Amino acid sequence: MKNQWTNYYTGYVKVKARGKGAERLINMLTRRGLHIWDVKRVGSETLIFHMDFRDIPKLRQVMRKSDCKVKFMQGKGVPFLMKRVMNNSGFLVGLIAFLLCIFVLSNMVWGIEVKDAKPATEHAIRKELDKMGVKIGKVQFFVDDVDTIQRKLSDRIGALTWVGVELKGTTYHFRVVEKRQPKEIEKTSPQNLVASKKAIIAHMFVEKGQSKVNVNDYVGKGQLLVSGLIGKEDKQEIVSAQGVIKGKTWYNAEVKIPMKTKFSVLNGNETNKHYLKMGDFSLPVWGFGDPGYNKQEKETTIRPFHFLQWELPISYKQVTLRSKEDIVRSYTREEAVKEGRKMAKAELNKHLDEEDEIVEEKILHESMENGKVKLSIHYQVIEDIAIGQPIIQGD
Amino acid sequence: MARNWGKKVKQLMTKTMDLPQDVMMDLPRITMIGQLHIYIENHRGLLAFSDSEVRLMLKNGQLLIKGSSFVIKTILPEEIMLEGKIDKVYFINE
Repeated sequence: MKNQWTNYYTGYVKVKARGKGAERLINMLTRRGLHIWDVKRVGSETLIFHMDFRDIPKLRQVMRKSDCKVKFMQGKGVPFLMKRVMNNSGFLVGLIAFLLCIFVLSNMVWGIEVKDAKPATEHAIRKELDKMGVKIGKVQFFVDDVDTIQRKLSDRIGALTWVGVELKGTTYHFRVVEKRQPKEIEKTSPQNLVASKKAIIAHMFVEKGQSKVNVNDYVGKGQLLVSGLIGKEDKQEIVSAQGVIKGKTWYNAEVKIPMKTKFSVLNGNETNKHYLKMGDFSLPVWGFGDPGYNKQEKETTIRPFHFLQWELPISYKQVTLRSKEDIVRSYTREEAVKEGRKMAKAELNKHLDEEDEIVEEKILHESMENGKVKLSIHYQVIEDIAIGQPIIQGD
Repeated sequence: MARNWGKKVKQLMTKTMDLPQDVMMDLPRITMIGQLHIYIENHRGLLAFSDSEVRLMLKNGQLLIKGSSFVIKTILPEEIMLEGKIDKVYFINE
């Protein structure tokens, strides 16, 4: 027997045969090799049956010899369905437009949330985002990606220590850590102040406690500066010594500056290529051909398309090729020395607090070997040398 | 006379060679699945069809099937599959 499930795809018709010789008509049809199924009797002279819609011409031939009247009641299967869909193409267009709308809306920015930020910082962030084009109603593809937003925000807004950017569906979430944290409440447990390094005391300001050293005294590391024990010997009281003791300290720095340095620099020429990515396959959409840079840097950004909350397997891929150039920078000896001093100072500043100052800078030694200038620099710095040392009370 | 001879030879062959009789002798092969389906091979055409009665032409005589709510699931020149509630199957010999 023939498999019937294919009938649905080839299309079939429901036929109503009316007349006395309906059975004979069926016999004639089957003898001609037509496939007929689901024959039903309705009323005394009427039969309903199904047949392949491609066999209709054969049915017509048979009809001439028969005394039945045949009526096609209904076409079923894919070809008829297609025809009906075409007739009602408005629905189809509507459906596609609807899906398209949802697709576009799922790829838009619908919300920007800033958390843990002071109102002023939040305002600054929102203003900066506006400038970057991160606005409600923008399409996500034309907005920078999350990492870039994060980098730009922390670059441009000084008040931020760190900003976490996260894209959840259609909403950007920003979590902010601001630089100015509330000051730590200072320890009030009994303590002495001792020197953190060897220094010459330059300036003293004792808030609480009894000072044990004077200005211009030389102190070694760990030496007691301000005692937390106050009062007369018989009536001693333990307090938390507080104060700022500024001391002159010394640093030695050594730097080596090569006279010639090779750099790879981007010279500003760049080409963008756009792809539609499906799995491992990338379909180029715009930007063909090789720009022909001698040296280049490649940056790839991939943005998945969204549909409602789901990520589609199709994504948009942008490849940016940036032209690179090699540059050789050479210094004269004076320039190298100048550069070296700058570098050493910057390096030293990293270790120092904001209130510390470099009071003296002296080049001790300057030599040249293997195309490098070697500098040995001595610094005098005034910095706070006091650190607390808890007084442990024995009972 | 010659036809009778042919018939006898055929009968003999089926007996001696153990061939299925429906193949050699154009007899209908009827398969029934409970009362639900009846599947007839080697028929010679549909004579009458209604909800409660189906009449089929055979090489010798007719086959009458009685029951209710009949639907012909498929019909091919020599095969027919009937669905419904089958009560009786008659052989009508002229």
